[in-house]
Amino acid sequence: MASLGAFILVLTFVAAAYAAGASVAGARRRNNRLIESGIGAFYLVAALLAVASGIIIYAFVAGDFSIKYVQRYSDSVQPLFYKITSYWGGLDGSVMFWVFLLSVFGSVAVKVNRERHRELIPYVVAVTAVVEMFFLFLMIVHNNPFETYLTESPTEGRGLNPLLQNFYMAIHPPTMYLGFVGLTIPFAFGMAALITGHLDDSWLRAVRRWTMFSWFFLSFGLTLGMIWAYEELGWGGFWGWDPVENAGLLPWFTATAFLHSVMVQERRGMLRVWNVSLVILTFLLTIFGTFMTRSGIVQSVHAFGEDPELARMFLTFMAGITLFSFGWVIYRLPMLKARNELESWASREGAFLANNWALLFGAFFVLFATMYPTITEAISGERLSVGPSFFNKWMTPVGLILLFLTGVGPLLAWRKSSLPNLAQQFLWPAVSALVVGGVVVALGVRVWSSGICFALCGFVFGTISQEYIRGANVRRATSGADLLTAMVGLVGRNKRRYGGYIVHVGIVLMFLGFAGEGFSRDEQLLVRPGQEATVGDYTLRMDALRVTEDNQKQMITAHITVKDADGQEIGKMYPAKWYFARHEEEPTTEVAIRRSFAEDLYIVMPAFEVKEQSASIEVHINPLINWIWLGFAVLALGTAIALLPESAFTFAMAKLPAEAATAAFLLFTLLGVPAVVAAQHMETPMTGGVVVRSPAEKSATDKLACWCGGCSKLQVGSCSCGHCAIVRKEVTTMLASGKSEDQVLQHYVAQNGGMHVLTEPPTMTFRLSYLVPYGMGMAGLLVAGFVAVRWSRRSDAAEASAARNSAPSEDATLATRLDDELRDLD
Amino acid sequence: MSSATSTDASLRPWQFFLLAGMLCATAVVIVATGQSPASIVILSITVVTASFVALAAYRSLAPLVLPESLLLLPSLFGGRTRAGLEREKTLVLRTIKELEFDFAMGKVSRSDYDLLGGRLRARAIGLIKQIDAGAGYRGVIENELAARTAGMASTAEHTPRTTDDDVATIDDGAHGLSPAITACASCGVSNEPDARFCKNCGTKLAA
Repeated sequence: MASLGAFILVLTFVAAAYAAGASVAGARRRNNRLIESGIGAFYLVAALLAVASGIIIYAFVAGDFSIKYVQRYSDSVQPLFYKITSYWGGLDGSVMFWVFLLSVFGSVAVKVNRERHRELIPYVVAVTAVVEMFFLFLMIVHNNPFETYLTESPTEGRGLNPLLQNFYMAIHPPTMYLGFVGLTIPFAFGMAALITGHLDDSWLRAVRRWTMFSWFFLSFGLTLGMIWAYEELGWGGFWGWDPVENAGLLPWFTATAFLHSVMVQERRGMLRVWNVSLVILTFLLTIFGTFMTRSGIVQSVHAFGEDPELARMFLTFMAGITLFSFGWVIYRLPMLKARNELESWASREGAFLANNWALLFGAFFVLFATMYPTITEAISGERLSVGPSFFNKWMTPVGLILLFLTGVGPLLAWRKSSLPNLAQQFLWPAVSALVVGGVVVALGVRVWSSGICFALCGFVFGTISQEYIRGANVRRATSGADLLTAMVGLVGRNKRRYGGYIVHVGIVLMFLGFAGEGFSRDEQLLVRPGQEATVGDYTLRMDALRVTEDNQKQMITAHITVKDADGQEIGKMYPAKWYFARHEEEPTTEVAIRRSFAEDLYIVMPAFEVKEQSASIEVHINPLINWIWLGFAVLALGTAIALLPESAFTFAMAKLPAEAATAAFLLFTLLGVPAVVAAQHMETPMTGGVVVRSPAEKSATDKLACWCGGCSKLQVGSCSCGHCAIVRKEVTTMLASGKSEDQVLQHYVAQNGGMHVLTEPPTMTFRLSYLVPYGMGMAGLLVAGFVAVRWSRRSDAAEASAARNSAPSEDATLATRLDDELRDLD
Repeated sequence: MSSATSTDASLRPWQFFLLAGMLCATAVVIVATGQSPASIVILSITVVTASFVALAAYRSLAPLVLPESLLLLPSLFGGRTRAGLEREKTLVLRTIKELEFDFAMGKVSRSDYDLLGGRLRARAIGLIKQIDAGAGYRGVIENELAARTAGMASTAEHTPRTTDDDVATIDDGAHGLSPAITACASCGVSNEPDARFCKNCGTKLAA
């Protein structure tokens, strides 16, 4: 089986090489037979990889432990579901999965666009096949998933990392890869357009859906990652600015920028160079993300020493792509000139330009900060890290700017917004922002970032509602339907725009969730059975600490009863630690979460003493966090609407009588009356719990980054791994013995031989490097300004050429036909 | 598409390969008795996928060896099929509608509306022409091109950059930006050249 798999990989490489060669040769010699054959070989790659995937999954399910990859990532007692998902559990398999998905996507894209973009297809095939070849090459010479043990093969596997044995983690990589891989298709089309010189907007039309689709999966993957981190890692948060998370976020930023700037090109014929560059950049970032997370370069530049070959191959490939693609951009620059000019900053183009600047700044900032340890190590030999607080400090304003632009963009007209126009459009959103801001201040919210965020959410929501209501009114005037039905019709008629607005609503809800983080609180308790402790509005009573076992793991579970402010019991929660067989050194933290739309009660148990029946538990109260997941659901709905094929909606609309939407809405409201929660009995409290952490301890532990290797540099104060529990105890003892915070930090720097254990670099020189993001942001602003000025200058010349170019009046009969068709369209 | 390679009622390639794949899968199920059901299911799925390998291999070799008559090779390089043109036309028409809507919502200024609308209409009409001309539109375009390059030396720099197949590019270049505009006698609002009634006040316009 294994040798068959390895043979198939070689065969696939040959097929991909043939596909690339035949299509380029066919395109250059205008030989249709060659091109068709190349496309056939392209499909062959997908088919072969499907068989190879089948073989490896079979090996997992049948437990063929002679294959190294299978032995390393599964064992016989693993549930079937995780056996199958082990396929992408490690590097070798995930590379194969990557190419498999790419080949399937590529085949579908080629099949769908074969007729419409015939001139582009050979090069799309060639570019995609070359990318596939790289990963196939990687697998064949370096990371062959079918590699077997040469001598005696083990009879039992090591098992998948317990942290990955979680439903979200099982489906998180495929969604992430779908996003990553999907972004290769726009790149292939962009390159094909550059190579053939067919640089009109038709290639954009071919890739728009693909980009949206991939963007959706990227968002989905990121959200799943957040849910996983929240539920499985147990440090109370959802986003730790971990390099792996950042790797997914980088292309998300550029893809979002592309989705917006593409509209500028469609409508106004501007930003052509920029759009092509964004597509290339996005693709490079997906490759870089794969590289970064897989080569271990972020953990240390010395990872090069561990796997120099992989790093070298990736770097060569990326350098090759960069040279090749930007070389073509430069070669085609004369053909990429803008057709129009920026007339005013108060226009939608201007807003999109600002939005692109903010998104790109976000991307480069995250890139810089993620690579910071590597950069400092390369420059000074001293490895420094930046903690989540650094990211948050910087990304909060960027996020707020983006949120603000989300509200501004739709209100501005293309080309130029006049002053009365602006006043009319901004009135209601501004009022809504002020009202929300006022309420927030009146309620006594003192976290500035969250307060502004709430106000901006109000602003964006005002904008979107206004768009819907005004649009529906215009439509009502023509169709005579009632307001809600008109709204549905509105969405149907311009799915991209109104679907996009729904996506914006989703983003607003997510931002509500992010803003809620400003009010989160956490406490650490040491409790024994019968003891009670109060955190926020909740009173927790420890009931017991139990040890149980199943055939995969040993489970230590704390049984905790939760009561609300009135002392009424509202539920039982069971935080636990699981020790998987063969992975005893890395127990998983099983979090207990009590969810509600207002806040989550989140309990973890980092440490325990079975003999004394005591448990040290961490209680987090996370306000508004569920709005993030809800926001994602809304975002998914919006994307689905935007992606829906034209015909589907037309069909639905044709069958829809007037007033139907209102009737349906009323029905839903009647059905959706929330259920009443039943009250529960009371119990008498016994003794008080013990809160163990003082502000000084909190401050010191927050300045240390976990160095256990598995927790991606979380603050020791909030990390839930066993190692950090020990460090926290040590810190408590040291502070109690009269040491200052600095002494404590110095102790750990000396003990670990480097400043990488600190969340923020201690010396001034290193703080100077913090200026780099400022520099990048300013440079970006300058470039944007320069572009704008150049556009404006071109104004006169363009006008003149437009005048020269204006064609004689349209053919009258054709114009009549056009009018008729336009009328029929609605 | 290999399904299109044979037109009669006989077995098509994909049907043949899929059938063969399923037969092999059945054989595998019989041979592999004693394994767990999950492994057998996955094994048979893998065998069926192998039939796609055969199909794709056929698909890539057939264009090289089969005689022209058996192959339904797509029309000349760069020729867009009717469906593609229709789809593009619908897209342009929708964009026009969207623009009209924006204008009605008071977001687009009048001059902008005229300019963009004029360009889109020109594009839509070009597409209608192409669809009417059917497969022979190539000739139409070439004639028009010849007429233009001969007639207007000044537009030479705006003639298509790639003279070969890209119809859309030719279209863009030839129709240029804004068609001439007629002003309404009673309210002064400028209308499209083909307008018969003023879009603002509804007065009949002079032809």
